[in-house]
Amino acid sequence: MNRSVHWRTRTAAAAVAALSLGVLAACSSSSSSSAAGGTGSSASSAPSSASSGSAGTVSTSSCGSKPGVKATGTPINIGAINTKQPGTDFSDIENMTGAYFACVNANGGINGHPIKFFPVTEQTNPSQIASLAKQLVTSDHVVGMMGTSSIIECSVNAAYWKSVGIYVLAAGIAPECYSTPNTASVNMGPRYSSDGAVQYVMAQGANKIAFDQANVPGTAYIAAGPNALAKAKGVPIEDFTENVPITSANAIATKLVTAAGPGGAVVLNFTPPEALLILQAAQKLNLEDRVKYWACSTPCNTDFLATSLGPKWNNKLFVNSELLPLDGNTSQTAQLFDAILKQYGTNVSGGVGSFSEMGFTMGEIATHALESVKGPYTIASVSAALKAVTNFNTGMLCQGFTYGNYPTHLPNNMDYTVTPNNGKMVIAPTGGGCTLISADDPQVAAYRAVAGTAPAVSS
Amino acid sequence: MPSWAEFQPYIVTGLALGGLYALSGVGLVVLYRATGVLNLAFGAVGAMGAFIAYSIIQAGGPGWVGWITCILFCGVVTLGYGMLFGPALAGRGPLVQSIATLGLALVLFGAIDLAWPTSGGQSPSISFPTDNGGFSIGQLQVSWTQVIALGLGVVITVGTGAFLRYSKLGTAMRAMANDREITATLGVPVRRVEAAAWLGCGLLSGIAGIMLADLSALDDTTLVFTVVISSLAAALIGRLRSISVTFVAALVIGLVHDLLTPITQISNYQDMTPFVLATIALLVMPRGQVMARAREEG
Repeated sequence: MNRSVHWRTRTAAAAVAALSLGVLAACSSSSSSSAAGGTGSSASSAPSSASSGSAGTVSTSSCGSKPGVKATGTPINIGAINTKQPGTDFSDIENMTGAYFACVNANGGINGHPIKFFPVTEQTNPSQIASLAKQLVTSDHVVGMMGTSSIIECSVNAAYWKSVGIYVLAAGIAPECYSTPNTASVNMGPRYSSDGAVQYVMAQGANKIAFDQANVPGTAYIAAGPNALAKAKGVPIEDFTENVPITSANAIATKLVTAAGPGGAVVLNFTPPEALLILQAAQKLNLEDRVKYWACSTPCNTDFLATSLGPKWNNKLFVNSELLPLDGNTSQTAQLFDAILKQYGTNVSGGVGSFSEMGFTMGEIATHALESVKGPYTIASVSAALKAVTNFNTGMLCQGFTYGNYPTHLPNNMDYTVTPNNGKMVIAPTGGGCTLISADDPQVAAYRAVAGTAPAVSS
Repeated sequence: MPSWAEFQPYIVTGLALGGLYALSGVGLVVLYRATGVLNLAFGAVGAMGAFIAYSIIQAGGPGWVGWITCILFCGVVTLGYGMLFGPALAGRGPLVQSIATLGLALVLFGAIDLAWPTSGGQSPSISFPTDNGGFSIGQLQVSWTQVIALGLGVVITVGTGAFLRYSKLGTAMRAMANDREITATLGVPVRRVEAAAWLGCGLLSGIAGIMLADLSALDDTTLVFTVVISSLAAALIGRLRSISVTFVAALVIGLVHDLLTPITQISNYQDMTPFVLATIALLVMPRGQVMARAREEG
């Protein structure tokens, strides 16, 4: 081979290498975006692997009005849309709602009518999501949407639901799940959950906040809540965003600890993989005690995270919990949850956790609303019944659930705070019980101005 | 602008990452020099090995069994690929040969997603006993894992350089890098030399995979794409020839990437570091100088 051939070969190789960098970067950034979307959006609803400690005296027969009698009437068609894509899978939510409906159908149904459930999944493609909504309404003839949880569904379909008169019951993620009249969520979403985390550490005496979240669209909206709370209390707050997946957790942990300072708190709004990376990095570098507190929005509420981190984080890390912590809980609701999950929840892959809790809670509210319908089940009658739900005690939320006829919806605005305790997430011993999210967040104030403040209920 | 003291912790984290980028970059360069193949599956093979190690450890196996399995798995898979597809693709251009490895990367990427799904909120991770030990330099906390990462980069680079210069197999690899056909006519067992290069590259991908799973993240996207970009950029700065230039470039990439972290105005753009540095180096560094350096290395 002569020199010129050599040169050409090497030039070609260099070109291939450069091209490869571009290709890999494209793959990487596309995956990152995908992961970044999931991260930002799932920030309100990561599953907890908590295992309920219920004794199991409540059976599934209690989920319907006629125990053991299978419903045979005209079905009531209900739909749900969940995100299911690599890295972001919310389908446990609609699967648990479906399990609840299956339990209802096996025990008398809704006034004798079985619920025919149409759960569909999407891959964060707006046109696909819009098409699925129309398909559910026009082809499947659903009269209600209950069990939805999607990264962008609320944003994409808000106008459509309004146009057809459907009121959606969701586990919300996008801002529109909370700021539009036709959707109400059983959870709080990333903004208000972050509010809860920031509020907790400030109440415990943190004198500065370093608030960090994934660098995805909508971060400014989320950060606005914690910033408003901190400003109202005169506590300095510094906002950060990180590209995901995180490649240099050590550097990020160092940065956050430096920003918060010894009297401050680091507050994270990430899904468990990224949050765990940062927390583990802090642990490896012995940084966990260089700040007063660490806190997280709901996604960190997993026993898996508690187990992975170890006892050093007991009463050091505080996690906002949007639903009832199930570890060791023996309430009637927790027992029914366990019974339904065991008997009907074979496709709930994550088992006990926030996702299945949200699905269960939506099943409860949907059943309660549908049972109140007099006459035929139509979009209008079902929507009216859903909107009429007022102070319904789900046993899963701190407050009674109210849908109402409001321009915005934030029915869950009172939360728990949990902390790791030897591999489990338990209610924080100091101030971890049901606490109202501060109305210093203007969105919370706006909701309470129209809907009032629902009192706490016993679980 | 952060103070010098605020920058200091990132020197440690950056050097540790840079050491692993260097290790990966050297693996890429050695294979390229011996076979003419740019192995874009380097990160994917390492990622799969790391996930297998994770599963072994999760199942109650000792950590060292997981680590060794990871390294051996990566060596065997890479060697297998090289032996199976290397000869068939040997006559094709560098573009075809490299894209074929990208195919392997995507197959492994999909397999990881299938075997270790991300639903359920559980996040796999790997920890070394050295994570919790270390020492302080002033206010700086340095873990033994970080020291090992940088040390491995240095040792692999120096060791590979010595191997290429002084060993018989290394001499054969250098000869093949210069002219494959003449080397073959001189009686060098080309297939065997290539096999050694594939195996070496695979073993290095395993070491990089398991270390990065600890220092960076046990995440398929991170290991398959994001991390390998930095290594590839370093190798490219070394013109896919010079392991010493690759080593230095990798350290600089790791350092600059992490040193940008406290500068909040631009920290979201720190992932551009390998691109920017590779572009600048390719434009500014005289090609002849790098090639001369490579010739000096052997």
